[in-house]
Amino acid sequence: MNKKTLMRWGGWTVTVLTVLGLGVMLLPYFWMVSSSLKTGAEVFELPIRWIPGKPQWENYPAALSRGAFGTYFWNSGVVSVAVTAANILFCSLAGYGLAKFRFSMRELSFRFILSTLMLPLEIVLVPTFIVVQQLGMVNTLAGLIVPLAVDAFGIFLMRQFIKDLPDSLIEAARLDGCSEFGIFWRIILPNCKPALGALALLEFRDSWDQFLWPYIVAASDSIKTFPLGLAQMEGIDSAAYHEIMAVAVVGMIPMAILFLFFQRAFVRGIALSGLKE
Amino acid sequence: MRSETSARVGGVRRWITWPGRLSYRSRLAWAGFFFVLPALIHLAIFKFYPLVEALLLSFYRYDLISPPVFNGLGNYYALWNNPLFHQSFWVSVKYMFGVSIPEWFLALGLALLLNRAMPGRPVIRLAYFFPIAMSQIVVAMVWKFMYHPYGLVNTILDFLGVGRINWLSTEETALPALIAIGIWRGIPLFGVIYLAGLQAIPKDYHEAAMMDGAGAFQRFIHITIPLLLPTILFVMVISLLSAVKVFLNPLVMTEGGPNGTTRVLPYFIYETGFAYFRMGEAAAASMVLFVFVFGLTLVLLRLLRRGGVQ
Repeated sequence: MNKKTLMRWGGWTVTVLTVLGLGVMLLPYFWMVSSSLKTGAEVFELPIRWIPGKPQWENYPAALSRGAFGTYFWNSGVVSVAVTAANILFCSLAGYGLAKFRFSMRELSFRFILSTLMLPLEIVLVPTFIVVQQLGMVNTLAGLIVPLAVDAFGIFLMRQFIKDLPDSLIEAARLDGCSEFGIFWRIILPNCKPALGALALLEFRDSWDQFLWPYIVAASDSIKTFPLGLAQMEGIDSAAYHEIMAVAVVGMIPMAILFLFFQRAFVRGIALSGLKE
Repeated sequence: MRSETSARVGGVRRWITWPGRLSYRSRLAWAGFFFVLPALIHLAIFKFYPLVEALLLSFYRYDLISPPVFNGLGNYYALWNNPLFHQSFWVSVKYMFGVSIPEWFLALGLALLLNRAMPGRPVIRLAYFFPIAMSQIVVAMVWKFMYHPYGLVNTILDFLGVGRINWLSTEETALPALIAIGIWRGIPLFGVIYLAGLQAIPKDYHEAAMMDGAGAFQRFIHITIPLLLPTILFVMVISLLSAVKVFLNPLVMTEGGPNGTTRVLPYFIYETGFAYFRMGEAAAASMVLFVFVFGLTLVLLRLLRRGGVQ
């Protein structure tokens, strides 16, 4: 085989791989949407019916009435927005302090903050629950929000970004008599928009996704978030796959919209998380 | 000379001077410290204190209701003699490496693929990265459905002549089935990180090597791999650490079964603490998991250093 045919075959292989890979990655989601529009009998029908004969839109209201999904969505929204806002504020504050100031405990503080990355909730589950219990926040929305309000990774991300901002920006503001907090609020934050956007998306996704913590803290139905609601519904109606898929599709919509609108910031945020250090 | 150090070393008197009377530099030092303080307090309460508490609690018997009773090393002794704990530990180890090792290679493959010039590349990238945004719970539900005895996976396998397998209820297949989901979920995520690393490699390196007649494979080995090494090692660390935390899938898909074959350590901790209310024993298991993660991180960070990353 000469070089040209070899190249052509290589090109074909790559195309086939790309398409095959895409199929494997997206097929489950396609199957989820398709099944959510089938009747209960069609779900396991053979031969496979890729596209439902007559879309059963009424699956959606029927499925959503199987739990207090309005409440679950509302709670998920409140918790995710609050956790994201808190992280943006505290992580950029701390990131700024660590990046642009010299104080005696700085290196120690930074190490302490980074070391908490090795303490995910899964490891300190029992004592964190006891702390939240002592604060009287079990089975409250505050209990879902407060323990997740600061993420060491966010501090790291903001520190890396702020470090690269020129010092002259800060010094000029200081000479103009701007207060230290004023510099942070009016100079640093507006200049961090790309990093803040990426951080916001990552935190929102993580907290929309959070399962273990609400699973332990939220006992009553009025506090539960969407993931808990979906798992609970599946536990009760485990055979109603078309309806479970309908709820899953609804649950996927907010993140899908966020992703499509802020695709660049999203991907950049994840790429930033790969910043080597 | 009123430097930041004199403000610190100067003793108690300095601590109570009003900000207005502090020197310029120490005022700045305090400002910086106050910026970091809220985060430090939060992490001290919700990370550091729980770690200390977990250590203390691991020496007590505690059920959340009656007061804790000192138990010495009893909890650790109980774990050591608990075959379920041993099983859990090994399930976690298998899951961690079973998920992350294939991820290292497949995600790199994806990144290399998406780094090539091809028609419609932005759309293809978008489609590949879309699953990153999906919730774990949605993924768990979809795959539970896919793995159903009459689900799509079995239908395809049956069509290929393999036959139907009850994936999630068979001891030999439940863990591999969960591992497959973990890999499937991790590929786009780590693909993005690899892709960012690939894009950071200057193009002239490849062009210069091409001028010298280096083939694609040689360029991959001698340019791409060495320059990508920090990213590769980073992905190794992060993928292992995120795989050890898996909890949702074993909970909603298999409930740790069949016969404990998918009861990963976080699930064991959850079950011991919040289903059997043996908080002390759960804390002891947490400490074992912590020491394991800590040790693993140290080893990997050492590898990172040796790989030339600061």
